[in-house]
Amino acid sequence: MEDFETLLKGSAEAHGHLCPGQVVGVRMAMEGCRLLGLDNPRELPQIKKLLVYVEIDRCAADAVSFVTGVKLGRRSLKFIDNGIMAATFVHLETGKAFRIVSRETARGLAHEYAPEIEDKHQQQLEAYKRMSLHDLFTVEEVRVTVKASDMPGPTRFKAVCQNCGQVVRDKREVMKNDRILCRPCALGSYFEPIGTKEKKHV
Amino acid sequence: MYRTKKVKAFRTIPVEEAVGTTLAHDVTEVISGESKGPAFKKGHKITSGDLCRLMRMGKNNLYVLDLGDDEVHEDDAVLELAAALSGPGVTFSASPAEGKLELRADYPGLFKVNIQALEEFNMLRDVMCASIHTYTTVKTNQSLAATRAIPLVIHRTDLDAAVNFARENYPIFSVKIFQPLKIRLIITGNEVYNGLIQDRFKAIVEQKTTDLGAVLEEAVILPDDRDMISWQIRNYLEKDTDLIITTGGMSVDPDDVTKAGIEDSGFEQIHYSAAVLPGAMFLLGYHKNTAIMGLPACGLYHRTTIFDLILPRIMAGEKPGSRDLARLSHGGLCLNCKPCRFPACSFGKSG
Repeated sequence: MEDFETLLKGSAEAHGHLCPGQVVGVRMAMEGCRLLGLDNPRELPQIKKLLVYVEIDRCAADAVSFVTGVKLGRRSLKFIDNGIMAATFVHLETGKAFRIVSRETARGLAHEYAPEIEDKHQQQLEAYKRMSLHDLFTVEEVRVTVKASDMPGPTRFKAVCQNCGQVVRDKREVMKNDRILCRPCALGSYFEPIGTKEKKHV
Repeated sequence: MYRTKKVKAFRTIPVEEAVGTTLAHDVTEVISGESKGPAFKKGHKITSGDLCRLMRMGKNNLYVLDLGDDEVHEDDAVLELAAALSGPGVTFSASPAEGKLELRADYPGLFKVNIQALEEFNMLRDVMCASIHTYTTVKTNQSLAATRAIPLVIHRTDLDAAVNFARENYPIFSVKIFQPLKIRLIITGNEVYNGLIQDRFKAIVEQKTTDLGAVLEEAVILPDDRDMISWQIRNYLEKDTDLIITTGGMSVDPDDVTKAGIEDSGFEQIHYSAAVLPGAMFLLGYHKNTAIMGLPACGLYHRTTIFDLILPRIMAGEKPGSRDLARLSHGGLCLNCKPCRFPACSFGKSG
C-alpha cells in the first residue's frame, strides 16, 4: 500500500478537494486494511477479498473508496444510510470484520494536536493527520453476515415485476398480494412521474 | 426416502505434496493469547507459499478434495439449493456453515410455504429442507428455514433434480409484505356506551393492528342497536376503508346484535364461526375491497385469539374464507400457557 501522504493526495484529487474528512477517511481505510492484513486491496487478488460498508455519504466515504478500491458498481462498497462517520471492513475469505467509528471527541482535540494553526478547518485537517489512532477512532471486531444476493460477481438472481415488466436484480423484489413486484410498484418511490408514462403504484 | 450414496471425495496427503490441491476443510490457526481463526478456508487451493505456514502450524497431513466432474461439495450445493428455494422476501448468507444455510426474512410480513412442494422436495435424494410453519408473521432477518445437501459431496444429477424441482415450484418460500391498511373500528355494547365500564378493546385492536403497519383511522362506541351498527358500517364503507373491525355482540344473547347489523350493511360474503378457541364466535366478511371482522368479547380476556391468526393474512392481502377458517381446527386450540409463547407454539399452526 502506498504511504499516507500519497494516498491523501490521490484521494483529494479524486474527491475534488482536500478536507478533514479526506484525512479521516484515508486513515480509517488504511487502518481497516491493516487489521485485515490487506496491503494491496486495489489490485488482484486482494481486490476480490474486501467488502466495505460505509455509514455516511460525506467526504470520508470517497476517501475510503479511493484507498481500498471498493466501488458501488463492483458491489464491494455498500452504503448503509446511518448518518454515522463509520465504516466496516470485511475480509470475504476469512470472515474477519472490523467496524471503525470516527470519535466525535477528536474535533475537540484538534487544538492540542495542531496548536500553531489558527484556522479551524486547517487545524482539524493537520490535527487529524497527527492524531493517534486511539484518539481518532474506536475500533471493534464485528461479525457481518453477507447475503448471497449482496455479493460481488455476476448477477445470480433476477425477477420480473408482474406489474411493470421491469427486471429486478439481486433479490430486491417483494411479494405483494401474491404478485412479484419491483419496489417502486409495491411500495412507491422517491420520485413522482410527471409525463404520460405514469407508473401505477399497486 | 432414498439412502445416501457414499462418495469418496477426500484424500489424506502429506503437506509437502499438497501444492495444487484443494482443502476439504478449514485449517484453524491458534496464536496463543492473540487469535483463533481459519488460516485457510475450505476450498482454498494450496500454493507453494502456503507450505511453510502450514508446517509452522504443525500440519503434517491434510485432507484434500478430489472431486469428480459429477460431484459437488456440500457448500457449493447448498448455495444452489437455497437460491432455488428462496422466493421474494427470503434471503440467505453467502457463507454456508457446516454445509448448511439458513433462509431468513428480508423484510417483515407473512411467511408462506408451498407445503406440498416442500414435502416433495424432501423426498428427493440427498437433500433436505426444514421450515417454520406457513402463515407465520415474521420480522426482518428472522430464521424461516434451513437447507443442506446430506452428504459432504453430492452427485450433480441429484443436486440438479432438487434445484429443478424447486424452480418448477417457485416460490416454495416467500414473504408477503403487510400493507398499511386503513382500519375503522366499532366498539359495541350498552355497558360501554352508557359509561358503566370503560372500553379496553380500542387499545388492544390499535396495538395489534399498528404492530403490523396498519393505521387505525377512526373508532366509535355504539350501543347494542342493530340499526345504528349497520348505519355506522355503511358510513365507514363510504370512506376509504380497507378493514372494518367490530368488537363484542357476536354471541347468542338477545343483546348480541352486531352480527345482524353487519348482515344488514351490505356485506355479501360472510363467514360466521371459526374452529378456533378462543374465537369461535368470530365473523369474517367481504364487500368489494373492504373486509370486516367481528371480534367476540373473548379478545378482552385472552391475549391471543383468532384475531391474531386472521389479521396478518388480511394485512398481507389474503382473503380467507370458510374453508380456511375450518382448516384452522387442527392446531386451533390455545393451551393458555403462562406465560404465552405465541407465535412460538402450536396455536394456529394448521400446516
